[in-house]
Amino acid sequence: MISFVDPLKIAFSSIMANKIRSLLTTMGVIIGVAAVITLVSMGEGAKTYILNQVGNWGVGANSITIHPGKEDGSIPELTLTYGDTLALRQKVNNLQYLMPEFVGRGVLIYGKKDYKPAYTMGVSSDYPFAYKQKAISGRFFSKTDEESRKHVVVIGRTIANKLFGSYSPVGERIKVNGVGFTIIGVLEEKGVLLSYDMDDMALIPSTLSEPVLGVNKIWEMFLTLERDDQVPQAIVDVKKTLIARHGREDFHIHTQQGLIDIVNNILNALTGIVSAIAAISLLVGGIGIMNIMLVAVTERTREIGVRKAIGAKRRDIFLQFVCESVLITMTGALTGILLGTLAAWAIMFALKMEAVIAWRAAEMACLVAFLVGTFFGVYPAMRAAKLDPVEALRYEV
Amino acid sequence: MGELKLNDKVVVRVVDVTRRYFMGKVEVNALRGINLLVARGEFLSIMGPSGCGKSTLMHILGCLDRPTSGHVHLDEVDVDELDDNSLAEIRNKKVGFVFQTFNLLPKLNAIENVELPLIYAGIGFDNRRKKAAELLKVVGLKERMFHKPSELSGGQSQRVAIARALANDPSIILADEPTGNLDSKSGDEIINLFQELNKRGITLIIVTHDQEIADHSKRIVRLRDGLVVSDESMK
Repeated sequence: MISFVDPLKIAFSSIMANKIRSLLTTMGVIIGVAAVITLVSMGEGAKTYILNQVGNWGVGANSITIHPGKEDGSIPELTLTYGDTLALRQKVNNLQYLMPEFVGRGVLIYGKKDYKPAYTMGVSSDYPFAYKQKAISGRFFSKTDEESRKHVVVIGRTIANKLFGSYSPVGERIKVNGVGFTIIGVLEEKGVLLSYDMDDMALIPSTLSEPVLGVNKIWEMFLTLERDDQVPQAIVDVKKTLIARHGREDFHIHTQQGLIDIVNNILNALTGIVSAIAAISLLVGGIGIMNIMLVAVTERTREIGVRKAIGAKRRDIFLQFVCESVLITMTGALTGILLGTLAAWAIMFALKMEAVIAWRAAEMACLVAFLVGTFFGVYPAMRAAKLDPVEALRYEV
Repeated sequence: MGELKLNDKVVVRVVDVTRRYFMGKVEVNALRGINLLVARGEFLSIMGPSGCGKSTLMHILGCLDRPTSGHVHLDEVDVDELDDNSLAEIRNKKVGFVFQTFNLLPKLNAIENVELPLIYAGIGFDNRRKKAAELLKVVGLKERMFHKPSELSGGQSQRVAIARALANDPSIILADEPTGNLDSKSGDEIINLFQELNKRGITLIIVTHDQEIADHSKRIVRLRDGLVVSDESMK
């Protein structure tokens, strides 16, 4: 019983004897695999990036957001009010945090300096918990502060830098739209999310939105539940409560799972398209390999004759040629994986994102390459194995 | 048939062997009833003009080809009954081929070429390398083990081929015009090597049309038109 070691060695030395030709033969496989690995690595990297960014912003699968108006892309009629938040706090089961955003425009004045932050918002005292963003110096305002309409403000790092430079702003008094406030905290830095500076933000108690910002309608409301599986019940509770108050469904609800699903769907569709292209490329590559293997069998008819004369069985010759075909294809696949990963890494580095090594795609590529190599190697190998030794020995190149 | 008796000294027994084949649409009767006994340790030459059937006979003796009718026993094995795989095994274990054009694999070096039959016999790397090295020493190529055929002279190549033929300690060595591609000095060296191997008890069958080479053997069988026309033992 002959093992696979010797046919593999024989196949390997045949490939090494024809380096350039072997490389050209497997080029289709290399390019196909490299393309898939590059795109899948980048896609995975992008997905991780997006989910990290979203996750950073504190939103998980246990949360829902309520938006005013219909979900049709039109500029919504703002319908949600502070009264709604009080009702929801009472009626929604297993509610953990509830965070309305009263988004307005504010001008901050400190001494002679003034600054307009990107966001000046009235929010609830749940903010640091709901969005997982604490005050790193000073503190966030409390529920009591909110209910008693205390004139306190928490600012983001960008504003702190703009108005106070390196001095601590905590305890300083500023004016927000002409109304006196005390800065009680500076928020932990969040960086840039999808090109929005999340640190260019001033937060005041939601109860002061109307008098200070002139806003009495909520732009968006963010709720978290104690557990992910409580989300469906919460949606029912929210709908019931708000429809009872408004008399119609003038709002819509998003779950984070929906966002994650959308990202996944886009990337899966992309991966599907790429895989289809790769499959075609591997098919073409496989035909190229079969072609070159047929040439090799003809070229090496004499060699096959000699091998048979000294005792090679059909199986030995068959294995030799199949091994050669599989080895060429697998080498191509591995080269493609290496090149594809390097390319993805380089591109993602340039985009300042992190590439994720596409292990699953790499495994698939190896498996498919193995199957392609075997499938397209079988016919030439059978031709070689069936050669008549006397005729093969007589064959003149 | 009277003189043809199977005994334990007989290594090749050919009985009434014919071989017909078609070349295009022309039927060729290459062998028309060959009877031949070869004893262990013989040094036999098969001679005859081209087209007499000596190559066909050699292919049949070497189990590369099957007779159209008749029987061939090789080392007491009735090879008529064997399938392709078993024939390959017989070629591997019982027959050593030496060709006019050497038929070494050009991409393998000398020792790797000698190892080939051992690979197909399923012998592991260490043992086959040892055996191949010994055989190259026997044929006087100890210094050239790692040379490729392209780096060897014709005579040296043929000696590698002889070492390869000896690899599995075969019952017979079949040589087809082994000196046909060599200059006379190299040819003489090969014949000397054959004689030396024969003295060690190896059975040799050489196909040749060169009388001078045949004169070195112990017995000459002449073929004409697919029949044995003379069978003489030398002194």
